[in-house]
Amino acid sequence: MLPLHAAETEKMNRHGYGGGANGHAGGGAYPLSPTFVESRGRTFNIRPDKYEKYARPTHTSLEAEGGEIGALTRRLTALAAILLLLMIFLPSIRPTTLIPALSLGLFSAGEAFQIETVRYYDLANVAGTSRGWEREERILLCAPLRDAAPHLPMFFSHLRNLTYPHNLIDLAFLVGDSKDNTLSLLSDLLQDLQAHEDPKAAFGEISIMEKDFGQTVNQDVESRHGFAAQASRRKSMAQARNWLLSAAMRPTHSWVYWRDVDVETAPFTILEDLMRHNKDIIVPNVWRPLPDWLGGEQPYDLNSWQESETALALADTLDEDAVIVEGYAEYATWRPHLAYLRDPYGDPDMEMEIDGVGGVSILAKAKVFRSGVHFPAFSFEKHAETEGFGKMAKRMGYSVVGLPHYTIWHLYEPSVDDIRHMEEMEQERKAREAEERERREREEKIGRVFDVEGREQWERDRKAVEEAQKAEKEREKAEEKAEVMRAEAEKRKGEAAEGAAAAKAKAGDTKDVSNSDSDPTNGDNQAKEPKANEGSTSSSSNPGSSPSPSPSPSPSSSSSTIKAASESENQLADLAQKEEGSVAHVERPATESGGVRLDELEHDMRGPVGAG
Amino acid sequence: MAVARSLRRNTTITYVLAGGLCIFFLYFFFGDTSQIPSLPNYAAPKQLLKSKDAASNPLSPPSLPFRKPAKLAEGEAPPRPPVVHYHMNNVTTTSDPVGNRESILILTPLARFYGEYWDNLCKLSYPHDLISLGFIIPKGREGNLATQQLQERIQVTQAPTNKNRFASITILRQDEEPSVLQDEKERHALSAQKERRAAMSRARNALLFTTLGPTTSWVLWLDSDVVETPTSLIQDLASHDKPLVVPNCFQRYYNKDKEAMDVRPYDFNSLIDSPTARGLADKMGPDEILLEGYAEMATYRSLMAYMADASGDARREIALDGVGGTALLVKADVHRDGAMFPPFPFYHLIETEGFAKMAQRLGWHATGLPNYFVYHYNE
Repeated sequence: MLPLHAAETEKMNRHGYGGGANGHAGGGAYPLSPTFVESRGRTFNIRPDKYEKYARPTHTSLEAEGGEIGALTRRLTALAAILLLLMIFLPSIRPTTLIPALSLGLFSAGEAFQIETVRYYDLANVAGTSRGWEREERILLCAPLRDAAPHLPMFFSHLRNLTYPHNLIDLAFLVGDSKDNTLSLLSDLLQDLQAHEDPKAAFGEISIMEKDFGQTVNQDVESRHGFAAQASRRKSMAQARNWLLSAAMRPTHSWVYWRDVDVETAPFTILEDLMRHNKDIIVPNVWRPLPDWLGGEQPYDLNSWQESETALALADTLDEDAVIVEGYAEYATWRPHLAYLRDPYGDPDMEMEIDGVGGVSILAKAKVFRSGVHFPAFSFEKHAETEGFGKMAKRMGYSVVGLPHYTIWHLYEPSVDDIRHMEEMEQERKAREAEERERREREEKIGRVFDVEGREQWERDRKAVEEAQKAEKEREKAEEKAEVMRAEAEKRKGEAAEGAAAAKAKAGDTKDVSNSDSDPTNGDNQAKEPKANEGSTSSSSNPGSSPSPSPSPSPSSSSSTIKAASESENQLADLAQKEEGSVAHVERPATESGGVRLDELEHDMRGPVGAG
Repeated sequence: MAVARSLRRNTTITYVLAGGLCIFFLYFFFGDTSQIPSLPNYAAPKQLLKSKDAASNPLSPPSLPFRKPAKLAEGEAPPRPPVVHYHMNNVTTTSDPVGNRESILILTPLARFYGEYWDNLCKLSYPHDLISLGFIIPKGREGNLATQQLQERIQVTQAPTNKNRFASITILRQDEEPSVLQDEKERHALSAQKERRAAMSRARNALLFTTLGPTTSWVLWLDSDVVETPTSLIQDLASHDKPLVVPNCFQRYYNKDKEAMDVRPYDFNSLIDSPTARGLADKMGPDEILLEGYAEMATYRSLMAYMADASGDARREIALDGVGGTALLVKADVHRDGAMFPPFPFYHLIETEGFAKMAQRLGWHATGLPNYFVYHYNE
């Protein structure tokens, strides 16, 4: 075997010419030496990776060492993987506590990086439009509070119900000089509100300013609305409002909404409703409900008004620090008030230009306040607080509008007089109730004290007595009737005697008599009979006239008498036909006997009496 | 490569890892997803913010810095703003503002930006973490330029690495265009004065009422062209403990007669009323205004500018009826009570003079320091 050849075969081994695959050994482009083929056997196996020349020695000391390290690494890797998996599944074992501890030094240097100090705002973006909820315009809702704890739950129910997106509403409160738990209650309610599970219920920025001004004016209804206290009270209210606004207004606000906490009823959509008008300052009408005995309802906020000539003239006469307050007899201003112009069925979108503004519910564009309009805590054109606010806004050329037919309802707080009256009414009611109770008790007592067992017997006795009384009465009645009958019979007897005398001359007269004879027998005729008789007598006043319908009534009688006469004639005729039998029966004795048979007459008359 | 090879050969660990991965995938796909991302942010903690705390939410007074909001995961609700209490009873305004850690708000209506103004501001010795700045810049090209220049300086000054940065800076852009060109000559024309100063009043009020925070004790009005003040300006003015304090505003110029730098009075709005002026005002219509420094209107009011005595006592005080706005230190309570810069004739006065009058109506009186100087830029 030549060395060259051997080298060749070694190289050959790298190429895929498997002799076995070709079918004959040493075939193909490179014939293989038969010795090589034999040494390899018939199958030519190519394993480039196992090429001996490059293969490493299998067993060295290094390899053994590497194996040990490998096993260790393998174990560590597995452990780390398991730990990692456990950490993925169980967050509690993650080394969270370690990270801050380790990174303390690193982050403290970066504390300054976490703080932002520069803010940039373009006021052109917060001008305020009629559809603020679509343009995400922020509203600042301001509410000055003082001893307002009783009203807070109601106020928060109103807040929750507002339909304007809550995240766009920032709340600001100023709590001052409160003697009750306004502050703590407010804080708790706000935290509940902000922690509400519904993410849409949470509001934007919430600030509570705590500031005491040391006001001495009482906040109860009577002293609050007394005329003398008004000017200074209005000035301190204005101060509170200005403090609240200046501390809470941000460059992001497009609108500012002032709302008293003691509003009882207001539409949920009030913000949108007012905003829709796109006015600089807008107020709804404010009324309050009253108990029925005071008339049911009453205008409440009299500070929204239009300026009048009288008031302007009055203002000129007052000194610099005087404040005109509306709704008091001391200053008759003859101004048209928004409150009095309300029509419950009027168009709620109707607008009215006003000059003074009431503070119960004011929606104003933030640019009004930004330009400097505020609630004067001094006499500005003889007005202070919200009225002065309206005046100042007008002075700067802003639109101030009231909605006379869009009403919200202020809470009714009874005045001292009302409370007294209500106490009186309550006492009356109690007295009435006591009286009633007493009466009932007395009745019960009577029922209890007297024998109830004997009552039945007593009732029975009473019935018996009553029945006996009734029977007695009936008997008396019957006797009376019999008396009357007898008297009539006697009268008839006389008449019959006359009739007998006249029978020869005229038969018709007996007919009349017989008619009256049959009276008791026929109930229906009883009422008509006397009339008929009268009619007959009137129509036939002449005894010589015939019983047949009279041919002509007297021409002098009126139409009514004519009618009556004719009617009675008709009836007469009817009767005559109906009772021909009886007539005949009566007639008979007269005709047969030619005289009157008293016995028979008497019998005739008694018959119906007995039957009755 | 021994390890890799042995790993390849011994497949048990591969199977273990694969199994683990499978479990992880299964868990990832079918696990309770609602449990992972929703970190409920219900808790709206009660907070108390004091003079220079950083607010936890961007919805906070601009006079305070705030923490940058954390990056939110997908579907995660931003944290709800907390209920914040401000103890305004504890906000003091004393003659020792540094000792009592009283925060101050420096307000500047900015028409043109002067680098010297910013340098002077940065040199103030009052603790910068108690100083908030507020700027209002008009719309338009000039305003844009001023904004850009200001922001360049702010970026350097307010860098987190600067230990001496200001507590917070608010930049407002005005919503209305400046109606009159702010040209030096035109600016002082009598006819244009009323309109110009009314616009200026609106800008001042907008700046004031949006940046005045519940923790602010003092407000310093400083015009953007006041380029030189004593570094202890705030402490010096506050030490008088007056509701309104005005230093005398002068201007440095090159006096050609003396052939040397000299000073001359600049701000004539700090004045004491005169019977003549009152008589003039009584005869005026309701919409007319009294102005100072015009020959057409001789008011004979005493001007603080002319009472200066450079060698006199710097702490000398005089009572004023009208104030100028170039430099003016005001207790925040005065503004909170409602004293603002009337954009309409208020007792025939407008802007800063009207402000002094309104403060007077509210029971706050102005004080002038005729011998304490700040210097105006010379155009």
